[in-house]
Formats: sequence, C-alpha cells, structure tokens
Amino acid sequence: MDLQSLKKQEHQRRIRKGFMWAFFCAILWGLWYIPGTVVWVLNPFDEMYGEIAATNGDSTSLVITAVLITAFNALTVIMALMVWNGALGKFGEMKRTIMEFKPCSRWFFLASIFGGPIAILGSFISMGFVGGAFAAVAALMYPVVGSILASKWYGEKISKRAFVGIAFIIIGGITIFGGGLLTELGNGNIVWIGYIGGLMAAVGWGIEGAIAGKGLDIAEPDVGLTLRFVGENIIWWIIAIPLLAIAGFPMIKYALLVFEPLTMLLLIFAGITFGFCYVTWYKSFPLIGVGRGQGIGNLYGLFAVVFIALFFGDIPSWTILVGGALCLIGSSVMFSEDAGQLESLRGE
Amino acid sequence: MAGNRPIKFRILELCNKSEGAWNYEIVKQIQKEYNLKGDFQRDSINFDLIELASGGLLKDVEVKVDEEGIYKKGFLLHKYVITDFGKTRAADACLMYV
Repeated sequence: MDLQSLKKQEHQRRIRKGFMWAFFCAILWGLWYIPGTVVWVLNPFDEMYGEIAATNGDSTSLVITAVLITAFNALTVIMALMVWNGALGKFGEMKRTIMEFKPCSRWFFLASIFGGPIAILGSFISMGFVGGAFAAVAALMYPVVGSILASKWYGEKISKRAFVGIAFIIIGGITIFGGGLLTELGNGNIVWIGYIGGLMAAVGWGIEGAIAGKGLDIAEPDVGLTLRFVGENIIWWIIAIPLLAIAGFPMIKYALLVFEPLTMLLLIFAGITFGFCYVTWYKSFPLIGVGRGQGIGNLYGLFAVVFIALFFGDIPSWTILVGGALCLIGSSVMFSEDAGQLESLRGE
Repeated sequence: MAGNRPIKFRILELCNKSEGAWNYEIVKQIQKEYNLKGDFQRDSINFDLIELASGGLLKDVEVKVDEEGIYKKGFLLHKYVITDFGKTRAADACLMYV
C-alpha cells in the first residue's frame, strides 16, 4: 500500500474512533435516563419533593429536589471518574493540569458552570414548569449553539454536510417527543420561566462544549473532564446546597437520608453512566470536533426513549419510528463524510 | 522545566523547531521525562500527538512507513511541526519565548 492510502486509512481510523466515542456517549446518556427517572420516586427524594411541594408548590419543589439529585449525581460521577483516572494512571497529569489554571483548568471550571447549574438546572426548570417532552426537545438544540460557537470563536471547520446531519438529528428528536410537546404547549398558562429553562439547557450545554473544546486543545480529555466535575461538585456542595439550606429548604436533612441501599445503587448507576457518557463526549471533541461530537451525542434522545421502553414497558408512540429514521439519516450523513475533509478540524 | 507541566505543553515545545520531530522520538522523550512506562502510556502519549494534530496545533511534514518496527511495525511514523495556530495557542499557555 502506498503512503497516501496508508495516510488516508489512518485518518479514517481516527474519524471512526471519534464517531464511535460520540455514539457511545449517546448510548450511555440514554441509559442514564433509567436511574435518572427512577431516582425521583425513591426516598429520600420522593419525601423531600412532597415536603417542599406542600409549602412552596410543585414546580419550585421539583427544581429544589433536582438540585440535591444533581449534586449526588455529580458526586457519584466524580467517584467513577477518579477510579477511571486511577486505572489509566493519570493522577500525575491531573495535578499538572490543575496547576495550570489560566491556560487549562480555568476552561474546565468555566465549562462546569455552563454544563452544571445553567444547563442541568435549566433542563429541570423546563421540566418542572412546562414538561418532560419540552425539556428534552429544548436540550436537543445544544449542538447548534455548540457548533456555531466553536466555529466563530476558534475557527472549527463545520462542513455543510455535518450541519445537515445535525439538523436531521434535531428534527428527528423533535419528532420523537413531538406528541408530548404539543400536549404540553397546548395546556396554556405556561410560566415563562419554563421557556427560560429550556433556553438555559440548550445554551448551557452548547457553551460547555465550545469551552471544553478550547481547553482540550492543550489538555487531556480524561483529566479535563474530571476537573470539570470537580468544579461542578464545588458549585453544588459548597455553594448551592448551603445557600438553599440557609434559605430554609431541608437540604441537609434529606442529604443525610440518602444512605438507603436501593437509592445508593441507583445513584452509583447514574454516576457510572453519566460519568462515562461525559468521558466519551469529551474524547470525541478533539477527534471529530465539537459540532459533530455533539450532533451524534444528540442521538441520546432516541436511545433514552428506547431504553425507557425496554425497562419500564412504556410503549412509545409511532412517531418514534419516523423520528428514529430521521436520526439514522442524520448520523449516516455525518458518518459518510469524506475523511479527507477532516484532516484538520481547524482552518489554517 | 521538564516533567512538571501538562504533557501536551511539552509536546508542543518539542515540536517547536523548524525541522519538526518524529512521533517516536517525542513519545520516547516524554516517557523518560515523565517517568511513564509501558505500552499503554506510550500509546496514550502518541494519542495526545494525534489529538494535537487533529486540532490543528501540529501538522505532519513528513510521513514514512515503520518498516523496522521503531514504533509499531507496518504503521505510519509522522514528523510533526507546530503550526501558526499552535504557536498562537501555545503563546498564552506554555511557550514563553513567542
């Protein structure tokens, strides 16, 4: 084989690997919805929701309970990531990266603000004030924000083809949640804060990806991601929860009640799926770019519906077939892009 | 100072010469400086190189097939050099001279 074709083969391998990471991200993200859904009906969260709802109303209660659930999620994610980094022998690199605050760790801490309190909380706010389907659809828009930012900010190349692929996957996702979306929006009297929440989710995750892409230029993905979750844990455990506790919400009381075997088991499952979904997400960015990584990652919408159907027996409506087909078309459009176009993800 | 800054910083430094540097040389040097032993660490450092090239911070100026198994037999060896974008990016991170 001549040099040129070997080179081409090598590029193809790299691109395939990048897409594979992004695809795993979508599967794991979809899987996360199982513990992510079940944990709400388990104690102490179920009781907590009831107690706060009695005094502050359902929507507020949902957001406050979500803070505690997200905080525990971040905690189990960081545990999973520490094991992962330990196995890879990357603690040394982690220390070196933390020390480089301005060029490296600053970006990951910034990413944690956008991905944590802004995106996740926004997602829960839209879930609480509008509905689950609206929250899912709003979040699907994040690759648009991410890829536009990455291209305008540091010149990531985003081909027309990749954009078409992303568009297909988004339309597919909207179709999957379409029925629920119409019902929710048709209810009338939606509080505007619900829409703000949706916007926070799309913009938050989009910005997170773009910022992470910037930091990952000169840092290791596994390490960068772990720092991002260190940041998120600080935000929840050192800032948000104490503040809410001071405001009079029973955060500490319920946080201490979390040690029930089933709840712990689910939180660990959530930590592993969410943690590794992020590992694969961050690993895909340097290889195929933020836009494509997020676009394929968006397939989580489809996987979430499928896994929820498999585990809980919730039969999805027929729209999932149309939506799923659109997602498949979108992914194929991206997968089949000529690897030569992707030799470097940045324009020189 | 070697061994106490993130590996990708050091890689950019090593590629910051006009004639560039071969991937197997860089990998070997990093392994020595950071005391990283074994094939897994070797591949992990090489993957950092691939990521840097994919991100447009490095580009390869010469490629040859590894006939003798210097790194991995039958695979490609790359000689990398830092790009202008890489230099700009490194200027606010690790390469103080620029």
